[in-house]
Amino acid sequence: MKKAGYVVLVIVLIALFLHSCVNIDTPEPQQPMNKQFQETEAINYPAPKNVTIDGIDYRQSQAPIGKFGGTLVASTIGEGPKTFNPFNSKDNISSLLSEIMYDGLLTTHPITGEPIPKLAESFNVNGREYLIKLRHGVKWSDGKPITADDVVFTWQNIIFDGYGNTSTRDSIIVDGKLPTVEKIDDYTVKFTTPEPFAPFIRMLSSPIAPKHIFMPAVKKGKAYFDTFLSTNTPPKDFVTSGAFRLKEYVPAQRVVYERNPNYYVINKEDKKLPYLDKLVYLIVGDINNEVLKFEGGELDVIGLQGANVARFKELEKHSNFKVYNLGPSTGTMFLSMNLNTRKNDKGKFNVDPKKQRWFLDKNFRQAVDYAIDRKNMVFNIANGLGAPLFTAESLNSIFLNKDLKSYDRNLEKANELLKKSGFYRNKKGKLFDKENNPVEFDLYTNAGNTEREAIGVMVKQDLEDLGMKVNFKPIEFNTLVNKLVNTYDWDMVIMGLTGSPLEPNGGKNVWMSDGTLHMFNQRPAGYNKDDRFDWEKRIDDIYVKGALATKFQDRKKFYDEYQAIAYEEKPFIYIYSPLIISAIRTRFQNLYPSMLGGLTHNIEEIYEEK
Amino acid sequence: MQILKYILKRIIQAIPLLIIVSFISFFIIRLSPVDPLAELRLNPSVSQETLQKETERLGLDKPIIVQYGKWAKSFLKGDLGITSNGEKVSTKLKERIPNTLLLTTIVIFLTWLVGIPLGIVAALNWKSPLDRILTVLTSIGMAIPSFFFAVLLLIFAVKTGWFPVGGLTSSDFLEKNIVGQILDVTHHLILPVTVLFTLSLAGLQRQMRANLLDVLDSDYVKFARAKGLSEFDVIYKHALRNAINPMITLLGFEFAGLLSGAALTEYVFQYPGLGRLILEAVMRSDINLVMASLMMGAIMLILGNLIADILLIITDPRIRRSNV
Repeated sequence: MKKAGYVVLVIVLIALFLHSCVNIDTPEPQQPMNKQFQETEAINYPAPKNVTIDGIDYRQSQAPIGKFGGTLVASTIGEGPKTFNPFNSKDNISSLLSEIMYDGLLTTHPITGEPIPKLAESFNVNGREYLIKLRHGVKWSDGKPITADDVVFTWQNIIFDGYGNTSTRDSIIVDGKLPTVEKIDDYTVKFTTPEPFAPFIRMLSSPIAPKHIFMPAVKKGKAYFDTFLSTNTPPKDFVTSGAFRLKEYVPAQRVVYERNPNYYVINKEDKKLPYLDKLVYLIVGDINNEVLKFEGGELDVIGLQGANVARFKELEKHSNFKVYNLGPSTGTMFLSMNLNTRKNDKGKFNVDPKKQRWFLDKNFRQAVDYAIDRKNMVFNIANGLGAPLFTAESLNSIFLNKDLKSYDRNLEKANELLKKSGFYRNKKGKLFDKENNPVEFDLYTNAGNTEREAIGVMVKQDLEDLGMKVNFKPIEFNTLVNKLVNTYDWDMVIMGLTGSPLEPNGGKNVWMSDGTLHMFNQRPAGYNKDDRFDWEKRIDDIYVKGALATKFQDRKKFYDEYQAIAYEEKPFIYIYSPLIISAIRTRFQNLYPSMLGGLTHNIEEIYEEK
Repeated sequence: MQILKYILKRIIQAIPLLIIVSFISFFIIRLSPVDPLAELRLNPSVSQETLQKETERLGLDKPIIVQYGKWAKSFLKGDLGITSNGEKVSTKLKERIPNTLLLTTIVIFLTWLVGIPLGIVAALNWKSPLDRILTVLTSIGMAIPSFFFAVLLLIFAVKTGWFPVGGLTSSDFLEKNIVGQILDVTHHLILPVTVLFTLSLAGLQRQMRANLLDVLDSDYVKFARAKGLSEFDVIYKHALRNAINPMITLLGFEFAGLLSGAALTEYVFQYPGLGRLILEAVMRSDINLVMASLMMGAIMLILGNLIADILLIITDPRIRRSNV
């Protein structure tokens, strides 16, 4: 009898313990971490100017004069580059590592976001016409001049003819027509778009290829081009226009670049940049290893997340690095419900019809939105280093609709909305719909992404306050994407997408109803029945018109409206934007960190203080 | 001549085994709900046309049995195909195999060099303090999970700064002279070798000790001693020769583990070996790469067993008579 008493006591204690674990402990936000980072420091970047010396049009850096020599070691997470051909790259790492070597005609001003000339000396936009003047006397790394022929070849024979990754080409087709490119003289090129098409100007930052190197590859056909300048190509075969050229690639370890002696940027003493002799990217397997390598001194620059920021901020005081806040991230993180009402090829609904009724109900979606405690997530998951997000455009987008107000968690309002749609709670607090089905669904995210997993746990808790039963299932990334874009058998998901703060048209694959990433109501390729919601139709319309308008004010109106629709209809329930925090060793000078360009956008101007 | 016939017989026996292994692996990988193009699909800037092109290039639009047929045909021709990134599987493997071999051969060499004598010493000094100490040490070695030990050593490397944090070479490797390069690689190898060495040493030492103890207790050893042979002859000519037999079988398995045995440690130390490559390939269902590695593993296992058996035939007259 006594024994039984002990057993009961132990069970009660365990139950109490577990109960207190399960309950959310919401600490009072005392001194939020982001107070320290409240404002990104206003940075005055002295933009480079054009100067002509002995008939050569240089780009002259206006930053303080530095010292030559030294090495900067950065890193990429994952398997490393898949190709060094910038026209073949389909993933961010390959693009980053190949575009270091090839400059584009234009680039983006790191502070204002305006397009400014880079490899081009100047440019002039006149409606549908883009007139580009090239620099005289500028050379490839092998000494051959960079001329209009290279530009025309790159655009006509590589991009327009559909070599490599055709995404650039596909994104500039207007009404089935491509822009045209023509050589006016050796140093002047004219592009003409079939209609006034505003996003085109951003495309002009695409890399330019050396004709004398790429021509033979193009002649051998598309299949050969796909393998051209792969990771197995000897480094000496690369002829580049960028600040650096490839020196060594060691699979799964690192990519090493050396300075391009023919680079066209000079400092104020007219000496050729870059200052650094070498630029190294270490290929590391995961974030933890990257942090260890930085702490071990093998890395010079690192991007930081969540808990590490607080630790590094503490370490900073007696270490040789400085932590920079680069502002909110350009990507978005969101919770989405599956609005799919179609059947799969076996004749079964992709989404259970009773769940369809919930998800298609705007009140239900808004109730979920009101139930989510974004501030709590920012505080607990991002360590206070983030801002709640309510809009489809990221917080640093120049197209952000500032009229869309943020709000706090509001359970009363959420319950009210649910009641309006006939949902009710039983005595135990469980939520039922008006046909007496208990509200229960699956919530997915990709396993291994600790941030999204943490958000999932908190979303589950928040929605349980409404009486919903949420089965949270983190699954392998590739499996999850398969569900989202191929089999459509999911209820709710937490996902993130990259975005551009400068050009909303990049989101057309997501927002247009026939897009490949129109996740919340994904239609199979070639689907031709028009079953769009009214607001989907309107967004389709806006995306077409927004790209064709040319004045910023006109475009802003269109994109403001699409954000307002997304804000009202909640196909995506945005969660928060983490701040981008980076750390770099203090011995590196000429740093002008910016939200748009990051820490090393002016890599040729950065030098190492010995 | 007979031994050649035996080898031939074993090789022919292996063929149906390999076919079954390849068939099952191929179907399991392809039937798993993993989309090899996931990363592309989730990139808003990749167009539908590009996705379509990729699907066709990888043959994902055809039925699985056709895909298997295509793979098997090129595999027989010695062509391992291309990875989902369009690189040749054979070049990918060639980049990594030497690194993994370097690590595993050093480890195997060291463990056998140290483990066998330690086992003998422990058996000969049975129940002595020395044996007891070795038992405690090897028990600890066997009890530590390899990844945990690896992580501990990695933290040690960061805190002390005495060792590099993973990898195989430093970023200024090319500028070093040959001696510097060898030292650099050695410096990087110390920690991963320590992990693998500690773990496999424990098992090997225990095995050798148990074998020798078994043999020392047998009648023919007693007889040899009774015959008045010197202790040296008894142990090294009679006991040891018989105790080493099971170790040869073990060596066959070690051979199979040459390419795949260190995957976990490789991952923790970011070692540029096969383990990391294959793990990443499995994650995104890179069929040709995964198949190549699985087939390689199967072939290495069969080959390892074959080698062990041949060695046994050579060392053990009893097997020679019954088997061949």
